[in-house]
Amino acid sequence: MTRAKHALLSTLAIIFALGVWLAVSEGGLVSPKVLVSPVGLVRQFFALITDGYLGTPLSTHIFASLLRTTIGFLCGAALALPIGLAIGYSPLLYALVSPFLAVLRPIPVIAYIPLAILWFGIGEFSKILLIAITSFLYMTVNTAAGVKAVPEDVIRAALSLGASRLQLFLLVILPESLPYIFAGIRVGAAVSWAVVVSAELIAAQQGLGYLIMDAATFFRIPAVYVGIALIGVIGFVIDRLISFAERRLVHWSAR
Amino acid sequence: MTPKIELREVSHTYTRGASTVAAFERLSISIGAGEFVSIVGPSGCGKTTLLFSVAGFLRPTHGSVLVDGKPVGGPGPDRGVVFQSFALFNWLSIRHNIEFGLRMAGVEAARRRARSDQLLSMVGLARFADRYPYELSGGMKQRTAISRALATDPDILLMDEPFAALDAQSREMMQEELVRIWDATRKTIMFVTHSIDEAIYLSSRVIVFTARPGRVKHTLDIRLPEPRYDPHVRTSLEFMAAKESILDLVREETVKQFKEESSP
Repeated sequence: MTRAKHALLSTLAIIFALGVWLAVSEGGLVSPKVLVSPVGLVRQFFALITDGYLGTPLSTHIFASLLRTTIGFLCGAALALPIGLAIGYSPLLYALVSPFLAVLRPIPVIAYIPLAILWFGIGEFSKILLIAITSFLYMTVNTAAGVKAVPEDVIRAALSLGASRLQLFLLVILPESLPYIFAGIRVGAAVSWAVVVSAELIAAQQGLGYLIMDAATFFRIPAVYVGIALIGVIGFVIDRLISFAERRLVHWSAR
Repeated sequence: MTPKIELREVSHTYTRGASTVAAFERLSISIGAGEFVSIVGPSGCGKTTLLFSVAGFLRPTHGSVLVDGKPVGGPGPDRGVVFQSFALFNWLSIRHNIEFGLRMAGVEAARRRARSDQLLSMVGLARFADRYPYELSGGMKQRTAISRALATDPDILLMDEPFAALDAQSREMMQEELVRIWDATRKTIMFVTHSIDEAIYLSSRVIVFTARPGRVKHTLDIRLPEPRYDPHVRTSLEFMAAKESILDLVREETVKQFKEESSP
């Protein structure tokens, strides 16, 4: 399928979905208390931009969530890359570490919330920790998989061309695993952004997760929808940015 | 004179599941400097394993592998290796792929460039110096890999079915090109293939292996009309005679291997 055709079909699908949504919500089929119409959503969005949510500007909430996600993600990545490279390279370390990763990864982050509060209280640290743990688990596994996927012949070629063990690692194994590492970064960032809502369930005073929870508690339904829509749109933008960087930095992969 | 490559009574066994498999048994082969020796045999007869033990990627369980009279301790830039899978560095341009070995040897940038220019024009890739492997055809990838192996000017070139992944036309072109390269450089080449035609066309000597465990079944010196890169060499009487003399030997072993693999 050509790019233009793809873009056209995607646009048509969005217009169609908006049309159905508009018809259902404005046509009186469903109460506006349950399903906000697209028009109501946009109106609420601009109201939140001009007046803020309960006196706090909308940008403050967005910024708070983005900051937590970024710090948590970077902490997770800072640990995931060296550990992932090490366990991918050394079968011994892999045997020691991988069972923990395999058991920890399927646990949804919500399950850690009570423990995080118990151990670290309800401050910023708990929230950032939850994001860091989640992104760490995804990125470590991908990085290790990238190192393991380096073809044996490529390693042999480098050694026969006189590469030392260190050169082999830095100049061959690391770049060769970059496509996997980037895939991990992409998933890690997406998951971090998704987890921020759960993390903000821990008695936050700011952030999109807090906004959604608070608005739902007090039946400010349009604000709930705006919060959810913003998480979706910002998540999409983050993914596009990383994907752009990926095409630049690992241009050789997926061809 | 000490042979360039000498294999003395080498055997190699490896474990596959619960059973031990003998890749090759008590092999003795000696290759002189400047020889082009091909090893032909059915797949799984241990010819790649043998080549890799000369490259130093693995150590045979018994016997000794000597290069210039000294035991092989591991891989090194004195033996260039060309793989069936090309094994190019995908994130490096063609030029940087070729220069990789020189970079490892600490050769300065200007000299690296002069050498890569020379090799790029020898294999006709000068226009593609700044392209990446994924932008190249299979034949061009393998020419890059051969140039990369030649860059550090090793005495020995070890080639593991290098043209097996190419289509028939590029394959013949590459064979002719390799003959030219061998004429120009007189490297000692050890070449593994399962194609009888390829082995005869390229080599000064063809060694036929038995089915697993691999042993030398027959050795044949090849004399073909010169210049060998003339494609009509492939239909010359000498070529046909050589093919006739080993065709049945290779077929016998292939059938043996086939029967062994299909028996329960």
